[in-house]
Amino acid sequence: MTGGQIFLDEIIHQPARLRVMTMLVAQPEDGQLAYGFIQSTLGLTGGNLTTHLRKLEDAGYLATTKEFVDSKPRTWIQATEDGRRAFTDYLSNLEKALSWPPPA
Amino acid sequence: MAQAQLTPEEGWRTIHHTLAQSQSSLYLAGTAYILLLWGGIVSIYFLFQFAIAELAPSFEDNYPWYPGPLWGIIGACGMIGSAMIGHREGSRNADYATAKSAGLRVFAFWVAVVAAAFLVSGAAGLWSEEGAEKIPHVTFGIISLGYVLFGIMYRPALVAVGVGMAAAFYIPDYLAGDFAALGTGVGMLAVAVAGALWMRRSGTG
Repeated sequence: MTGGQIFLDEIIHQPARLRVMTMLVAQPEDGQLAYGFIQSTLGLTGGNLTTHLRKLEDAGYLATTKEFVDSKPRTWIQATEDGRRAFTDYLSNLEKALSWPPPA
Repeated sequence: MAQAQLTPEEGWRTIHHTLAQSQSSLYLAGTAYILLLWGGIVSIYFLFQFAIAELAPSFEDNYPWYPGPLWGIIGACGMIGSAMIGHREGSRNADYATAKSAGLRVFAFWVAVVAAAFLVSGAAGLWSEEGAEKIPHVTFGIISLGYVLFGIMYRPALVAVGVGMAAAFYIPDYLAGDFAALGTGVGMLAVAVAGALWMRRSGTG
């Protein structure tokens, strides 16, 4: 909070990216989710999801791993430590924003 | 406040909605295939029962206890098949620990439902020669209720499946006379196929 304003991380505070980060942070620390699972759960197109994942990855909030299972490529995604911290900060600021302005 | 497309209230709601959606997607992994598997198993049992009554009535007279062991065998096959499907579908969605945790919760739910069917029919005094023929009435009622409860928690389509299963069992049983087993066999398969298609079309399972 600076100068009476509450800042919400713009990387996270966007509908699709907030949903992706929520799914990832809800998993255990080393937990990974498959790209296809995130896509089908959130109902996003492949192009849309990839764009948002790239933005989150560029910010260091998630990491992707590719592997081949039965000769088919599979992409796994997990929140990084920085991503978890950023999400925790985001939640804390969101809570403050929801109770803003504070009671007199 | 940072420029963004969400208000804080919308952000909060989005988080809660996504958590519920993500959890139910994990729990529903493979449901459509498992539904088809059990629909097929139950259907085969009732069609077999109808065929025996029509084509080999002496078999039923000589071995009136045959449904017990038969259910034991096909029930075990169904449970093994369900576990394999759940494991395969779950491991496509999430890492081993996450998929296992979701799978165990679903497994525990259905074990509780089957145990309830066993205990309620026992408490009602049906585990006897006179009462045995009423055991399926209790069992199908409780398993249908299981689908309704699971559907209320995770996906409304399963509520319709539970109601459909109950209808597929009780309506022929009360109205179809000698053709009850045939009606139930066909009805169960129809409900399972319709439910599985609904689950697939709604994007999960």
